[in-house]
Amino acid sequence: MMNWVGFATLVRREFKRTMMTINQVVWPPVITTLLFLFIFGVGLSNTMKVMDGVPYIQFLLPGLVMLNVISSSYDEAASSLFQQRFQMSIQELLIAPLSNLELELGYLTGSILRGLVIGALVMSIGLLVVHVAPRNGAILFFFMFMTALLFSSVGMIGALLARSFDNLAIVTTFFITPLTYVGGVFSSIHALPPLVQRISLFNPMLYMIDGLRFGYIGSSDVSPAIDAVVVTVLAVSAFAISYGMVKRGVNLRV
Amino acid sequence: MTVALEKPAVEADGAAHGAVRIRHLIKRYGSMIAVDDVSFDVAPGEFFGFLGPNGAGKTTTINAIVGLATFQGGTIEVFGADVVRDYRRSRSYIGLSPQEFNFDRYLTAEEILTYQAGYYGITPSRAKPRVDALLEQFELGDKRRATYLQLSGGMKRRLALARALVHSPRLLILDEPTAGLDVELRLELWDFLKKINDDGMTVFLTSHYLEEVELLCSRIGIINHGKLVALEDKAALIARHGQGSLQDVFLELVGKRAHA
Repeated sequence: MMNWVGFATLVRREFKRTMMTINQVVWPPVITTLLFLFIFGVGLSNTMKVMDGVPYIQFLLPGLVMLNVISSSYDEAASSLFQQRFQMSIQELLIAPLSNLELELGYLTGSILRGLVIGALVMSIGLLVVHVAPRNGAILFFFMFMTALLFSSVGMIGALLARSFDNLAIVTTFFITPLTYVGGVFSSIHALPPLVQRISLFNPMLYMIDGLRFGYIGSSDVSPAIDAVVVTVLAVSAFAISYGMVKRGVNLRV
Repeated sequence: MTVALEKPAVEADGAAHGAVRIRHLIKRYGSMIAVDDVSFDVAPGEFFGFLGPNGAGKTTTINAIVGLATFQGGTIEVFGADVVRDYRRSRSYIGLSPQEFNFDRYLTAEEILTYQAGYYGITPSRAKPRVDALLEQFELGDKRRATYLQLSGGMKRRLALARALVHSPRLLILDEPTAGLDVELRLELWDFLKKINDDGMTVFLTSHYLEEVELLCSRIGIINHGKLVALEDKAALIARHGQGSLQDVFLELVGKRAHA
């Protein structure tokens, strides 16, 4: 039988942690998004007018939303779990009657919530600037949720393997940030040379951003069905790996 | 410190079993054997002292009991619940006050207790009276809004003990509970531990203060290099070795007399 109170307590703890670090984790993405929208969408609007048949600022918004969903969900899972490992307060959870699945789901729920809340916040603020409502809210939610699940799971894997906070930054600095920036946040892959277009198809971020953009503007570079399959397979795989590690107690139970 | 806590529910399921039953416990770290075929029982209501020099296997054994360490051989039961197969039940019976402070840095003293109760399945509203009582009990009432970093060493030690008791465990495991406490607080804590033990709670104590163990514990196990080298009633242990104190017996058994 599920320890629902224990699970809810862990989610509450994660939410409290987010709220206690609000100036580090909530406002920066909001302000950065506003700056991006202002500079690229308003300041450079005469140079960059249209992308994929829609005003550039409208094209840009879903990419910025996904950028924040990815970084927020990864950061929450990675830093929270690693911090608890580092300070040994994870022992409070490990000695409690919580199953490995409850532990996994507790951390993931906290991280996914943070990713979704920040994604929704960025989207809402962006809509005030762009003035165009999303075409399909369900598709939008699907891609945001699956991406948050994927990067929360990746964050947990990172937190379990890391030996220092510096280790955690490796994933962000060398993988997440560059792949996201070249994954279609700022431009369509059709604007790239043919060879780079083909290489871009190996970038998983492309499918997340492209799927979300389909939900927002109704058109995409890749088939939305392919986007959905790629994101789902990656998210389920990352979840399975992170859960397997929690189950085996990797760097949790000696 | 006043004593006003409820008695542990010893009459509930599992009471017919030993409080702790360890059989052939083996724990290896790579090629190093930390605990080597250790077996012993702790009876319900007993005040059991578990001694050994640094690195002897005390904390590893405790970690195996509470679920912080996996092990390669043997079985451990807590009030009849296997710590691997029936971990939810076994863990719900145990309260642990660890040697090193491991508090959640984002929480206040009150929240540390409330959240810990939550992890044990107790809702905040159900936990509140118990949390309030424990904060008063351990003279932390005026520090309920303080975070870990705002507490003194003695306060942290008392908070660790309060946290171990928040879900009303049947077995209290104390790993160096009086480290860092001044004499007055240590004496108060001893009185408290004697009282809760008199009320029926099983206490499993490890400490480097041998006078503390000699005063409080009725039965003693000594571990050295991962092997159990003594396990018997305190008075019988001291008498059988023809020594005047537990310290002399300890030094003889762990082979450190020449360095003492």
